[in-house]
Amino acid sequence: MIDHLRYSTLKPSRLSYFLVLLFCAVFVGIGGYSALTMEHAGHIITGMNNHIVWGLPHVFAVSLIVAASGALNGASLASVFGVSHYKPIARLSVALAMSLLVGGLLVLVLDLGRPDRLIVAMTTYNFRSIFSWNIFLYTGFLVIGAWYLWMMLEKRFNRYTLLAGRIAFAWRIVLTTGTGCIFGFLVGRNALDSALLAPLFVALSLVMGTAVSVLVMIMLDRWRSVLIDKQLLDSLQRLLVWFLLALLYFSVVHHITNLYVSEHHDVERYMLLGGLSLTFWLGHIVIGVLLPLSLLVFRSASVSDCKRLAISSLLGLLGGSALLYVVIIGSQSTPQDLFPGKTVLASTFGDAGFPAYQPSVWEWGLGFGGVALAMLLCLLLLRILPLLPELRASLTASPE
Amino acid sequence: MLPNKAQAARRLFLQRLGVFSAATALPALLSSTVDAQSSTKGVSSAQRWGLLIDTSKCASGCDACVRGCHEEHGINSTGNEHTDAQWIRKIDLQNNLSGQKSSLPMMCQHCESAPCVDVCPTGASFKRADGIVLVNKHTCIGCRYCVMACPYKARSFIHEPISDQKSWAPRGQGTVESCTLCVHRIDAEKDQQPACAVACTDEAHSAILFGDLNDPDSDIVKAMANQPASQVRSDLQLNTGVRYVKL
Amino acid sequence: MHPISPIRLLQCLLLLLGLTLGWMSVAGERGPVIPKGKGDRCVADTDFMRRNHMDLIVHQRDETVIRGIRDEPFSLVECVDCHAQRDANNEPIRVDAEGQFCASCHTFVAAKIDCFGCHAAVPDGEDQERADGGHWLPNKQLAAFRPHKAAPLKSSVRSTVSSDHDELSSDASE
Ligand code: HEC
Ligand code: HEC
Ligand code: HEC
Repeated sequence: MIDHLRYSTLKPSRLSYFLVLLFCAVFVGIGGYSALTMEHAGHIITGMNNHIVWGLPHVFAVSLIVAASGALNGASLASVFGVSHYKPIARLSVALAMSLLVGGLLVLVLDLGRPDRLIVAMTTYNFRSIFSWNIFLYTGFLVIGAWYLWMMLEKRFNRYTLLAGRIAFAWRIVLTTGTGCIFGFLVGRNALDSALLAPLFVALSLVMGTAVSVLVMIMLDRWRSVLIDKQLLDSLQRLLVWFLLALLYFSVVHHITNLYVSEHHDVERYMLLGGLSLTFWLGHIVIGVLLPLSLLVFRSASVSDCKRLAISSLLGLLGGSALLYVVIIGSQSTPQDLFPGKTVLASTFGDAGFPAYQPSVWEWGLGFGGVALAMLLCLLLLRILPLLPELRASLTASPE
Repeated sequence: MLPNKAQAARRLFLQRLGVFSAATALPALLSSTVDAQSSTKGVSSAQRWGLLIDTSKCASGCDACVRGCHEEHGINSTGNEHTDAQWIRKIDLQNNLSGQKSSLPMMCQHCESAPCVDVCPTGASFKRADGIVLVNKHTCIGCRYCVMACPYKARSFIHEPISDQKSWAPRGQGTVESCTLCVHRIDAEKDQQPACAVACTDEAHSAILFGDLNDPDSDIVKAMANQPASQVRSDLQLNTGVRYVKL
Repeated sequence: MHPISPIRLLQCLLLLLGLTLGWMSVAGERGPVIPKGKGDRCVADTDFMRRNHMDLIVHQRDETVIRGIRDEPFSLVECVDCHAQRDANNEPIRVDAEGQFCASCHTFVAAKIDCFGCHAAVPDGEDQERADGGHWLPNKQLAAFRPHKAAPLKSSVRSTVSSDHDELSSDASE
């Protein structure tokens, strides 16, 4: 594929650029402070306890990781599937994916009980653990991403772009599946003991990744020449519709199969009718799927295409995180059923029920810190590497 | 971990303190003290330690085993049961059909195919040769995946700094812990019992029997020959080392 | 390539000499004040301990945790037993407190250890002994420690260590 485009770095032009930088930096600071406080005082200052051991930081981290894999879409469509109107955003898409992954991983690491022992995690592996495999998948993603970017940046290596793109594409599918599997193979947790989580995570990654890409591109468009032209806009709207439908489909199937298995009833009741029902129905189903779907399908003339896409993306992101909240927190929110056929009359440690999870300000701080870091990293990459196409029009004219 | 440069400087400092010769002797010294004993000492898979809990002897409302365990390991309540360490807990049950009530202690079941061992990214969660499932707190990074994986909810994460530990039971913030079957006691001397079993016997209930599941002459194996003993969540086929009579 | 001028060479040498002298004065005169341990010798030759204690206890740690080998000379509990000081009221002071044994050198060389976040930093007093009476007997342990069986040690280490311990093992076997 010959590159007809000229790329340049992001030039600071508007005040809003610096405001965004400042905003991100402040949140990274808040995140760092939260992490330090948590490491010093212990997880006692979070809402987590020995029932809910993975809390809000995991929701943020998994959201970012899943979005990272999805954000690679632009590049995959351009180089693997040869969709030419995605070509201009291919570089941006890789840089964004890498930044999101780093943000997510950092949240994950800082939520460890002993972040100071990270070196142990990097040097000793238990190869039966999916977690270990994921460490390889994540670092591998960064390496492949960097290589891919390099192949695209350097003219003489352009012919390897297709190869790099294919490898990156395969890798990201495995990565998302692997992330889903972290949750999918927990025999002790009824709500999670399902192979359907893997495809659910892939669908979720497509929605969230596309949504983040859209939002970033629209933000960039306010600062410089336009990234999203009419063709790309249409294509993105259609893609998002399909991804949302896939997400809805797997989510519904997941819950229906769970309802068939009677031992999963307690958990399902908690998610669909109990403490998490609002997050599930309003957050995931209405805000996350139905609203953006109807916006995108019944295109009202009073809203511009661009605005519509932006709003649906924002909703899709919120809804995706809500779904992850329901999956991660929900799966831990009901007592594990140890004695089928028996009722627990009393227990010294919550076998009959325990208080709902209430995330603390430190967890929000850490989570948003990760998001802000991802944004900051992405802006930094855009600032130092020529990742943004200079002239949008040249593409539409090109024969490809 | 320290970068090598810093380490080198520190070793040099030690040298300055007056040592010039001994370093080369270390490997020899280590291998001699260890190898000489490895044949006779250390755990072996000839044994498999386990517990047999007779729920008909276990009294509802009695928590002697829990207190015994906590005392032995210096686990002090902070008043919040949800964040405190819970190595062993008491559960009262009622059969949905017969209405019959029972009571039992629940702790790490020391599974042969332990989910917590499978999922641990660093291998800190491990099974000793004699079947005891432990956390090596020196390599535990506090990811809590094992807590998620445990079907018995037998693992606790330490949420806050701990002080006044017992010298034989080191415990600290940010790592996961669970019942160790009192390894420090049973390793030290023959015929030592875990603290919960001792406490239960002291209370004259004798509901907890400790012993070697591989030894046909042990009390625990004989007792299991007399009455059927079952595993909690036997559907998972984890081959637990803790068994219950009249579950 | 530029030839190195003799002047530059001399400067380098002088700098090196100065650094060495400075280092020697720092280490030799203003070194850490290390509180003395209980008894008259450590579990191994003092010089040897200074240099190798970290490797010894970390090795011991894995032996104990993974292979269940206890009652060994390099147990951390033992270090604390002998090396914890007592204050005016005869209360034990944490070995990792400022100026105390395990902190003395470490502060000096800016090494950080987290061991005492979990491990007891004071010996268990007689009054809070365990139900089974406790099995930590330093003498028994030392008797079990027979470095003279080892492959050749450097002579200085071998002589001090093995003679000490031969005496001890005969004491303990009575
Ligand atoms: C997170 C808590 C924790 C930390 C931090 C920790 N340990 Fe341990 N350590 C333990 C536990 C638990 C045991 C097992 C005790 C047993 O089985 O009797 C242990 C056992 C040991 C043992 C064997 C028992 C003994 O007393 O000899 C040694 C030696 C040891 N640790 C050394 C260290 C050293 C050195 C450090 C610091 C570099 C350290 N530990 C840090 C929890 C910890
Ligand atoms: C039986 C009591 C005893 C035990 C147990 C013991 N020590 Fe010592 N240790 C001593 C004494 C006494 C000295 C001072 C020896 C001397 O002055 O030559 C000493 C010296 C040392 C020194 C050198 C200090 C200096 O002045 O430079 C180090 C390091 C040390 N010990 C570490 C340890 C460690 C680590 C352990 C645990 C594995 C340990 N010791 C166990 C009694 C003990
Ligand atoms: C004679 C001075 C001295 C004394 C006393 C001393 N240490 Fe050390 N220790 C050192 C030095 C120097 C290092 C750093 C060596 C290095 O970086 O390789 C060290 C390193 C260590 C390490 C490894 C740290 C790491 O990050 O690699 C441990 C564990 C340790 N010491 C434990 C102890 C304990 C426990 C005591 C008290 C019983 C003690 N030390 C007393 C000098 C001392």
